[in-house]
Amino acid sequence: METVLQTIANGILVGALYGLVALGLGLLMGVMKFLNIAHGTFIILGGYVSFWLFNLWGIDPFLSIPVVVIVMFLIGLVLYKLAFSPLLRLPTIGMRIDTSMLVTFGLIWVLDNAMTMLWTPDTRTIITTYTGETLKVFGTRFSITGLGGLGVAVLVALALYFILSRTYFGKHIRAATQDAEAASLCGINVNRVYSFSSGIAIALAGVAGVVIVSTYSINASGGLSWLLIAFVVMILAGEGNINAIIPAGVVFGLLEAGSVLVVGVPYRQAIALLVFIVVLIFKPQGLFAKKD
Amino acid sequence: MSLTGKKLLIIGLLVIVLFVPPLVIEMGTATMNLLVLLFIFIILSQSWNLIGGYTGQINLGLAAFFGCGLLVTHFVWKAEIPIYFAVIAGGLAAVVLAVIIGLPTLRLKGAYFAIGTFALAEVCRIVVGNMFARMVKMPGSYAIDYSIIPRYYLGLIVAIITVALVYCVTHSKMGLALVAIRDDEQAAQVTGVNTFKYKVYALLTSSFLAGLAGGVYAFLRLSFHNITAVFSPIWTFEPLMAVVIGGAGTLIGPIIGSVFLVVLSEIFALTLGEAHLIIFGLLFILVVMYSPYGIIGSVGRIRQMMSRVGRGTLKARQKL
Repeated sequence: METVLQTIANGILVGALYGLVALGLGLLMGVMKFLNIAHGTFIILGGYVSFWLFNLWGIDPFLSIPVVVIVMFLIGLVLYKLAFSPLLRLPTIGMRIDTSMLVTFGLIWVLDNAMTMLWTPDTRTIITTYTGETLKVFGTRFSITGLGGLGVAVLVALALYFILSRTYFGKHIRAATQDAEAASLCGINVNRVYSFSSGIAIALAGVAGVVIVSTYSINASGGLSWLLIAFVVMILAGEGNINAIIPAGVVFGLLEAGSVLVVGVPYRQAIALLVFIVVLIFKPQGLFAKKD
Repeated sequence: MSLTGKKLLIIGLLVIVLFVPPLVIEMGTATMNLLVLLFIFIILSQSWNLIGGYTGQINLGLAAFFGCGLLVTHFVWKAEIPIYFAVIAGGLAAVVLAVIIGLPTLRLKGAYFAIGTFALAEVCRIVVGNMFARMVKMPGSYAIDYSIIPRYYLGLIVAIITVALVYCVTHSKMGLALVAIRDDEQAAQVTGVNTFKYKVYALLTSSFLAGLAGGVYAFLRLSFHNITAVFSPIWTFEPLMAVVIGGAGTLIGPIIGSVFLVVLSEIFALTLGEAHLIIFGLLFILVVMYSPYGIIGSVGRIRQMMSRVGRGTLKARQKL
């Protein structure tokens, strides 16, 4: 019983992080139909920003989040300007998705190797005074950093939800998502909406990176495995269904943690991915898709 | 469809140039190694070209087929079966893998296909990594009479077969169907093309070729310190890059792209170190954004521009 409870607890903690990892990817895909393969690499980049803030000035990783958000937001704006906006003139959505996939794929190459050159391929992690401490609730252990990650994930998801559904800017984003042309005819500056949302998406990747560098570890070429997780969670949630991403992440985390009980640690990722593919084939609209 | 005499002559000359020198002059193991690697890249990039360039299905799981072919070739060869049969066995094993994982994923459209194949390749990598925790290597007797020459010829033969196969496929009814699927799958379906069938054929052929490439690599390297490395996404991404830089959906493009990537990376790796990969990445982005048909496409465009300029000056002269 205790192991089961502990497994569920682990699943929820890691699942919240998985949801956080997928938020930025889901936003870009949902709003602009850009598939950002370099998402995982931006996560790592955000992790590095936090790592250096901690190492050089001793800033606590969770307190460094605002700085990371600003830095990554600016990077997102630049990314939109240089790489994404030229793709908007492509005639079909399918071409836009494919081409953005290829462009960001080249970006992985550039960023991965730039990070390796600048900061060596060493695995990095932030060790604070509270790393490794756990909180015991009813015989179930929660790691402090994991709980911090859960808190950040929930806060960020809520903030995104409020921006999208309660603010004027969120309304613009939703309008541009539904029909960019009609939105621009109604006087919405679609270009600005797009560039801001890509800034937000990259900033979200950065936040995920902060949580990862404080709970796990990062290395310069580790972006791909996080990208895969982001993909999986985004599809489980259903394309464009941003509010369901954190729940979908928790589902995936529980799945992974649960398969540890059944088949053991080495195959946990494989089992989770297989389940994902089954979902992809039989329910490609995602587990949380709204019924029309 | 028909080959003109001039083309045949060029191809014949090329084949002679590639076949004869290793017998006559000593080129050194390093150069030969590089050439074999180049052949492997040509095979892999043609394989990706068939499914990605001609059919338009972005397959991010090529590494799984490559690794599968490599493993099967390795163990069949270890069982003292001649390498040529072992390589074919590797290719067929990759086809079997494609049947198992390709048939379900091919039902997915567009980006979902890319994500699905990527995930499946990762599953393969994890499973194989758990199965073979130790180093995979050949017994010492294989290493004693190791010579690069047979590797060179195996690579060359498989590369020629690959290019010929892709040529035949793309110049047949199937090739037309594949291009139709790439350009507009729905329209192709409406006009009576069995799109799923042709996509399956394309994937099976492509994975067979990737398996052969794995076989050649298994022949080239006798031991694999870390077997998951051959399943790593690098083996998908570098051929993809070669295809896109060279020109996707053309026969020559992937070859040029492979030469470009392998030879330049060899030169740059010595002078620039890691930075050469950054340059390749930037180049790749530029090609994708501004020259979607790759080097081949740009050559065509430049030629067009040149002829336009030529005509322009002619007109100017006539006016004078």
